[in-house]
Amino acid sequence: MSAITRRRFGALIGLGAATALPPLVSSGRARPRVVVVGGGAGGATVARYLVRDSSGALDVTLVERSKRYTSCFFSNLYLGDRRDLGSITHRYDTLAAMEGLSVVHDRAVGVERERKVVTLAGGDELPYDRLVLSPGIELVHDSVPGYSEAAAGIAPHAWRGGAQTALLKAKLDALENGQNIVMVVPPNPYRCPPGPYERVSMMAHVLKMKGFEASTITIIDAKSTFSKQALFAEGWERYYGGMIEWLPPEIHGGVTAVDARAGTVETDFDTFEGALLNIIPAQRAGAIASDAGLADDSGFCPIEAGSMRSRIDPNVFVVGDASVAGAMPKSAFSANSQARVAALVIRGELLGTAVPRADYANTCWSLIAPEDAVKIGARYEAGEDGTIVGTSSFVSDTGEEAELREATYRESLDWYDAIIADMFG
Amino acid sequence: MYGGSSVSAGRRALLGAGAGAAAAAFFGGSGRAFAEIEALERAIAEFGGEAGMAGGRGPLSLTLPRIAENGNSVALSFSVESPMTAEDHIESVVILAPENPYVRIATFHFTPMSGTAKAATRMRLARTQDVIALARTGDGRRYRAQERVEVTIGGCGG
Amino acid sequence: MAARVRAKIPESVTVGEVFTIRTLVSHRMESGLREHADGRLVPRDIINRFEATFEGERVFAVDIEPGIAANPFLEFTARIEKAGTLVLSWTDDAGEVTTYTQGIALA
Repeated sequence: MSAITRRRFGALIGLGAATALPPLVSSGRARPRVVVVGGGAGGATVARYLVRDSSGALDVTLVERSKRYTSCFFSNLYLGDRRDLGSITHRYDTLAAMEGLSVVHDRAVGVERERKVVTLAGGDELPYDRLVLSPGIELVHDSVPGYSEAAAGIAPHAWRGGAQTALLKAKLDALENGQNIVMVVPPNPYRCPPGPYERVSMMAHVLKMKGFEASTITIIDAKSTFSKQALFAEGWERYYGGMIEWLPPEIHGGVTAVDARAGTVETDFDTFEGALLNIIPAQRAGAIASDAGLADDSGFCPIEAGSMRSRIDPNVFVVGDASVAGAMPKSAFSANSQARVAALVIRGELLGTAVPRADYANTCWSLIAPEDAVKIGARYEAGEDGTIVGTSSFVSDTGEEAELREATYRESLDWYDAIIADMFG
Repeated sequence: MYGGSSVSAGRRALLGAGAGAAAAAFFGGSGRAFAEIEALERAIAEFGGEAGMAGGRGPLSLTLPRIAENGNSVALSFSVESPMTAEDHIESVVILAPENPYVRIATFHFTPMSGTAKAATRMRLARTQDVIALARTGDGRRYRAQERVEVTIGGCGG
Repeated sequence: MAARVRAKIPESVTVGEVFTIRTLVSHRMESGLREHADGRLVPRDIINRFEATFEGERVFAVDIEPGIAANPFLEFTARIEKAGTLVLSWTDDAGEVTTYTQGIALA
C-alpha cells in the first residue's frame, strides 16, 4: 500500500487543478482582509491555503487562543499507549511565518456582523471582508442529567484535545484490576461518529495489557446502532473477550442521572458504577458561531453546499464540526476538505481566481487493536436538494486478513502526517 | 462459508455465497458440518406443524429492524394479542432463523400470570434472512409471522 | 456461573396490573462454533434456560439456544393478585443456576 504523499492527498480529497488568474487587486488599495477563527483542522487549513495560493494578495489573520494544538483526532491512540502526547501536539510557528498571514493567540469573543468585525478578549477588533468560523464544538454538558463543566473535571469527556485528554489518560492509567469504566455516548450528530468506540477499543487494550481481567467497560449509548458496529463487535469479541458491553436505549431506557463524584451512571434500567466515567455529552457549534446568530435549531450552522458559505450571512463561511454539512460526518478529514473548498471560493470572489465545482471527501479510520484498523469513507458534492450528499462510499469488511488491517493502520498514520502538514505547513 | 461434506448441495448453494457482513465471529468462519440441515422443517414440526397456520399471523406481530448494523446482536420483540386467561392464553412462541447454523433461537413459555404474550430480546443473525415466529395457544391454534432482516455494515452513521 | 445480573422490577404494583420486567445477564454465550486463533473450537457454553416464578408459580420461561446474543437481554410482563416474592433464575450448560430475587408489594 503506498503512502499518502501530499500530492496524493490532494487527489484523495478530490480537488481538481484550479487555474490561477493574476490577482485583480490594484496597487494603492488595501488588500482584501480575511479573518479565520479557530486554528484546528478547518481553520488552520483555510488560513494556510488562502495565503499559500494568493502570493500575498490577501491579508489573512488566524485567531487561535492556544499556542499549541493537541489533535483530538488520534488522541485515542495516545490513550491506548500507541502514540505519545508530544507526537499529537503541534505549533503554529511555520504558519505564522507565512507571508500575508498573522497568527493571533487570543480568544475571539464575538462577531459584529453588520460592522464586519471580530472582537478579541484582549480588546482588539479585527475588521474583515470575509470571515471563516471554524470554532469546533461546544459541549452541552447538561444534555446528560447531572453532568456539568465542573463534573468534567472528575468525569472527563475528553472530546476536545488538550487538558481533558491528559486527564482521561491519567484516570485510565490509575485504574486497578476490578475497577470498571462507564462511557456515555451522545445521539447524532456529534464530532467523530466512530470515536467513542475506537476509544473503548484503546482503553480495553490498555486494561488487557495490564492483565486486568476483572475490569469491564460498559457503553451507555443514546443510539440504537453506530458507525462500523459490525467491525467493532467482531474486533471486541476477538481481542477483548467479554470485557466490553454495549447497551442501546432499548435496554437502558435513558440516562437519568450522572454522579461524577460517586462514579455512577443511573439509567431507567439500572445504575452502572465505574471508577472511570467518560461522559460524552451532546454538542453544538462553538459559541462564537451561535452567539453570532449563525446557528439554526440543530445548534449547528447551516451552509451552502457548494461553498461552505453561511446561509445566514454571505460574508461568513463556516467549516468543520460547527457546520451542518449534510451527509459529511464531523471529522478532521471533513473539516480539512471543507476548508479547501471554502478557500477556493473566497479567493475566487476576492481575487477573481477560478473556482472549481466543490468536491469533498472524508475517511474515518478506527484502530480496534494494535495494527488492526478499519475505515469508512465517501466522496461528496453539492446535491440538488441544496445539501452535501454522498456520491460513492467504501467501508472495511469483517473477516479481513491481518495484512489488510495492518495496511489500513499504516494508511491512517500517513494520513495523519499529511493532514498535519496540510494544516500547519 | 458453512459448507461441509454432510451439507446437501442445495443447502450449500444457499449458504455458500460469501457474506461479508455475516456475523461469523461467534458462529465460526471455516467450513464446518452441522446437523441442523432440515432444522427449519424439524423445528416447525416439533412446534406442531404448519397445519392451522393458513390464517397467517392472526394476533401475532413480530418486530425486527429492517437493516441490522451488527449481526451479533439484533433487537427482536413480539406480541400475541390474547386474553391470557386460564382458558384462553398463548402457551408458547418460538423464534426461528432459517439461515443460522442453529435455526431455533429461543422458545418462550407463557402462563396466565404473564399478563401478556409479549417479550423482547436480542438475537444473533448469521446473514440476511427472514426471521420466523410461530405462536401456539393451549387449545392448539397456531400462528406464523416473519420479518426480513438485512445484515449489513452501514454508512458513516451520522 | 455467578454471572452479573441486572433486573428492573417494580417494587409495588396494583392488583391485576400488567407490569414489565427487564433483565440483563453477563454471559459470553459461546455457541460452540467459534474458533480460537489456532483453529480449535471454543467449546459451547451458554445460558440455556430462564425462568421467572412468583410465590413458586411459573410466570414466564425461555428455552435459550446459541442464537441468543451475548449478555442475554430479556424483557417480559407479569400480572399478580397478591404481594409476594419474584424469583428470576438463569441456568447454564453446566447446570449452574444464578438467581435474582425481589419482593413486590401491592399498592
